[in-house]
Amino acid sequence: MTAAKIPAELKRQVNAAVAQYPAEHKRSAALPLLHLWQEHFGFITDEGMKWIAEKLELQPINILELVTFYPMLRQKGAGKTHIRVCRTLSCAMAGGYRLMENLCEIAGIVREHDGIHNPVLVSPDGNISIEFVECLASCGTAPVCMVNDDLHENVDPNFTADLLRPQPSTLTFQPPSPHPLERRLVFKNIGRKDWTIDIDCYLRDGGYKQLKKAVTMSRVDILNEVKASALRGRGGAGFPTGVKWSFIKTDEKKPVYLICNADESEPGTFKDRYIIHQDPHQLLEGILISCYALSAHTAYIYIRGEFPEGAKILERAIEEARENNFLGENILGSKFDVEVYIHRGAGAYICGEETGLIESLEGKRAYPRIKPPYFPAVLGLYMCPTIVNNVETLCHVKHIIAMGGAEYSKLGRPGNTGTRIVCVSGDVVRPGYFEIEVGKVTMGQLIYEMAGGMKFGRQLRAVIPGGSSARVLRVDERFKIKEKQPAGSTIEREISIDEIPMDFDSLAACGSMAGSGGVIVLDDSRDMVWALNNINEFYAHESCGQCTPCREGALWMKKITDRMLLGGGVMQDPATLKTVADNIAGRTICAFGEACAWPTQSFVEKFPEDFAARATKSAPPPLPPEYTPEELITEEKIPIVPLAHNPGWEKAGASGVV
Amino acid sequence: MGVGVMAEKPQLINVQIDGVWHQFPRGTRVIEACAKVGAYVPRYCYHPKLSSPGNCRMCLIEMGLPRMGPDRKFELGADGKPVVNWMPRPQICCAQDVAEGMGVRTSSPLVEECRRGVMEFLLINHPLDCPICDQAGECRLQEFSVEYGRADSRFLENKVKKPKRVRLGSRVTLDDERCILCSRCIRFCQEIAKDDVLGFTERGGHTTLTAHPDKPLENNYSLNTVDICPVGALTSSDFRFEMRVWFLKETKSICTSCATGCNTIIGSREDVVYRQTPRENVAVNSAWMCDYGRLNFEYLTSPERLLEPEVFSVEKLQPADWKTVISHTALQLQHFSGWDIAIVASGRMTNEELWLTTRLAQYLNVSLIDIVPRKGEGDDILLSQDRNPNTNGAKLILGLQSKPGANLETIASGVAEGRIKSLVVLGEDPTKFGIPIEQLKRLPSFVVINILRSSCTAYATAVLPAATYAEKRGSMINGRGRLQRLNCAVRPPGQARQDWEILRDLLQELTGHNGLGSVEDVFRQMAESIPQFAGLSLSRIGDLGVKVMVMPEDSTTPVPPGEPVDEEIIELPPLHARK
Repeated sequence: MTAAKIPAELKRQVNAAVAQYPAEHKRSAALPLLHLWQEHFGFITDEGMKWIAEKLELQPINILELVTFYPMLRQKGAGKTHIRVCRTLSCAMAGGYRLMENLCEIAGIVREHDGIHNPVLVSPDGNISIEFVECLASCGTAPVCMVNDDLHENVDPNFTADLLRPQPSTLTFQPPSPHPLERRLVFKNIGRKDWTIDIDCYLRDGGYKQLKKAVTMSRVDILNEVKASALRGRGGAGFPTGVKWSFIKTDEKKPVYLICNADESEPGTFKDRYIIHQDPHQLLEGILISCYALSAHTAYIYIRGEFPEGAKILERAIEEARENNFLGENILGSKFDVEVYIHRGAGAYICGEETGLIESLEGKRAYPRIKPPYFPAVLGLYMCPTIVNNVETLCHVKHIIAMGGAEYSKLGRPGNTGTRIVCVSGDVVRPGYFEIEVGKVTMGQLIYEMAGGMKFGRQLRAVIPGGSSARVLRVDERFKIKEKQPAGSTIEREISIDEIPMDFDSLAACGSMAGSGGVIVLDDSRDMVWALNNINEFYAHESCGQCTPCREGALWMKKITDRMLLGGGVMQDPATLKTVADNIAGRTICAFGEACAWPTQSFVEKFPEDFAARATKSAPPPLPPEYTPEELITEEKIPIVPLAHNPGWEKAGASGVV
Repeated sequence: MGVGVMAEKPQLINVQIDGVWHQFPRGTRVIEACAKVGAYVPRYCYHPKLSSPGNCRMCLIEMGLPRMGPDRKFELGADGKPVVNWMPRPQICCAQDVAEGMGVRTSSPLVEECRRGVMEFLLINHPLDCPICDQAGECRLQEFSVEYGRADSRFLENKVKKPKRVRLGSRVTLDDERCILCSRCIRFCQEIAKDDVLGFTERGGHTTLTAHPDKPLENNYSLNTVDICPVGALTSSDFRFEMRVWFLKETKSICTSCATGCNTIIGSREDVVYRQTPRENVAVNSAWMCDYGRLNFEYLTSPERLLEPEVFSVEKLQPADWKTVISHTALQLQHFSGWDIAIVASGRMTNEELWLTTRLAQYLNVSLIDIVPRKGEGDDILLSQDRNPNTNGAKLILGLQSKPGANLETIASGVAEGRIKSLVVLGEDPTKFGIPIEQLKRLPSFVVINILRSSCTAYATAVLPAATYAEKRGSMINGRGRLQRLNCAVRPPGQARQDWEILRDLLQELTGHNGLGSVEDVFRQMAESIPQFAGLSLSRIGDLGVKVMVMPEDSTTPVPPGEPVDEEIIELPPLHARK
């Protein structure tokens, strides 16, 4: 395939994609171009890599680095129907592995080992290909899979044949009527029968009124409202948004960028999906207000690659907003120019880390940057000041402008203001999303009242309260939390798991975190070694591999739990697991270190009986060396292996025969 | 960032390291500050000449910043020094500069635990094939294992399989299983060689270093990646399995393949040179050298080496002992007047050899003398267009008024027309500057002092086998006016001798005088006549050389990448200044 055979339409799309980025940073277009190439030709050929490298004035290795980093990019063809089965915890608990097995059986695919993401398995007739992927961010409707670009939810693993017939996507929404304990702001319109995603519907509902209001306000006033609201980031770290924004100097000479982090991929979290798919203009309004407040003339929405439909919806929303002069030049007569672009990821969890996201947006492997010196607010995208905010956080900005910061801050609890969307998945009767006032609902209310209690009359065993990286809580634990009294004094109280208020500070006091708001519930039938192994596989697959402790440790922990599940657990394993995790946490470039260490630390510590039961053998003696030095040198000397386009070595995440 | 060069004295920053307060210039990296006061922090990814990605996590230390009082001033402790607020988490020290009142702990229990943890992680998937690994003996994994390694392994899993013996380019071979993914080689290619060909593929624990098959590692600086690789992943295809490094004798010298004069270490064992590696000199080559210069030592053991002196006698050239050859050569030269003789010296000769050559010329009254210019393509990194290592020395010592090589035509025509009856050629091949073999054959006297046999050696009337750069001591002046020193790493093979000795003996034979017992004596004598060398001796040049000439700005010898331009002539060599 040569450049001559590239159709004009693809060339046009390529040029449009390149134009989204500053001319001196066209490397940023690498991922978009790879997506375009793959959509057109089915997979990324060597010629494709070279063509893209040339187009972007890069070296071919720069593109090869990306193709092998991002799992959505393929170097081999897939079937006519490509199925991605979610492998991660909530789906696995709901039968994800069975779904995979049944699909393979129907398609006539022989799976060699478990838990492989790559290579993509293709049926003998080439019609169907199947791969396991990590969390598709729809844990509330587990198990899920994507058939080509369409998400299928609540799939019955026993009726997989249905999936292979052409049918519409089954994106479902919960009943529109909120639970009485809910307080809906951001999710007000999600699931409404009379709601459509076009701008007219949004405008009828008072849409873009807050943007109109914002452009009449001074930037400092908006910042002060956001500060007064005490809004904390909804992405995971819970950092105060106003404080983050105030890191941008008011007299900044360099361009300021706003990035909306729509790379929702923390297992257990599925809130941004609904905002993007059901209420895109709300997000856009939040982004535009924030851009105005930050004097950011360019915003990028970094949306995860597994949301192709969401990306299209947002593209359309941007065009509609442009037609109404909500974005573009001189918006609403304010003399403020702003452009919003969509940038699709390609299946890497680490892009949720803000500096990893920035690197990915710059067209590189998503290697998080060291801080100091690369704090995004100082040296962010293209070494310019950059603010990265979560989808939900940016939506809240709109409501803060509507209500006023002071009024907004009355929602929730002091220091834990506003509402937030809590996603419940796992062994509950009614998994799903609930927008609550922060801290006004307890864990017990959430599980037993809102989510309908435990499935099949089972008992609660454990809760992972803030996405899979949060430390697990055990049902019979007692927690000490400090509570501020209205009089100003603080009292310490011992509480049970049911009494934990769902807010940042309380969950932190209980030794875990509110994180991204993804609550995964496990009942008393669950083997905690199995659950931890599932989580470990996720982190081993998603570690970017840049820094030593996480690269080596995440894979090691996964291999240990793999072996324990296969019956090879030795007595030292629980202690080894714990020390390996200890050697990762706090010693890595980014927070992924903690994210992959906390589950292991907490599972091993809190469920020693499960681990002890699978760690009964004594450690084997070390193996003797396989070769003598002389034999090794003879083997080493000849032949020299040439560089290969596809070395044929196992891809990331492969297990079993590592 | 953005701070201009300040004229005043650099500000000193107070930093507490392991409980003791020290002062460092602003802009000092914490890792360098620690090393300066004897608290060396182990590291893999950090390299002082490259950017800091902070990825190996070996340099984790405890760090703290001064506690601020309500008045925004440092709170002072009982000792009158700032109170340090220690950060709860360990920090890397390779990417941060020192800050006022900063505290650092390099050997606390937490720090030791971090290092042990990282060492264990680095070794679990490492093949541990030290017995056959070329890096063994100079491997950072081995080095830090002594302090932070575990005696036993608790890794019961299968190791990750990765490609082995990958030909990254024609000169570099990669073992991916040994690679610790520090990215030094990738950064070197991007930042120094300006040839972005290396990268990581796959991810997580399966991350693999490679080059794109269509764009392998072929740049002229590729072997520097082998030098900076802290482990045995990148190996020199040339040196692979040739010699255990601990047997190598290390001799500090300079590269003589171009006018840059990169500082080197010659690794030799029992009179065989096995490798050359760059030696840091910020004024010359930073920490690098080009592959062309590095590998240009094969001719040392060439079958064409001249191994015994020969002289024309009884109708043919035949071997003789040195004494005979020297006296025959002297007789030949004495037979002619200065007008009949031309001397072609070489820009590859040392200053000492050139000095003795001028003395020879003066004694014989020879005025026709020149060197052969040697040009090639240069680059903006280290390679100079001038492929003679000592053009500047030749110009200075031989007193060449015009461009080097300007007299060669006159010499050639003189030979052609028979005006020149004796031609003395040192280290050069006359057929390369326009004298055909037929004319050389006709010369009554044709004296060759050289290393290798060439097409015209057979027609010489005297052949005096000389030594290569690795077989002698002496000095040269590089393209940027820096006087540098060669040291003897191996002995000349056969009966070949150091050039200065040959010239000294010739002079002695001619003049009857002697006063030169060593090459140091030659330098001393030269320094008395040449003002640029005043006050210097061969020893006082030191390992890093001395700037002795100011060069025009259009010098074809590049300034080393990333280093400050040093145009000042320093008065005393650094070695001597040290106590």
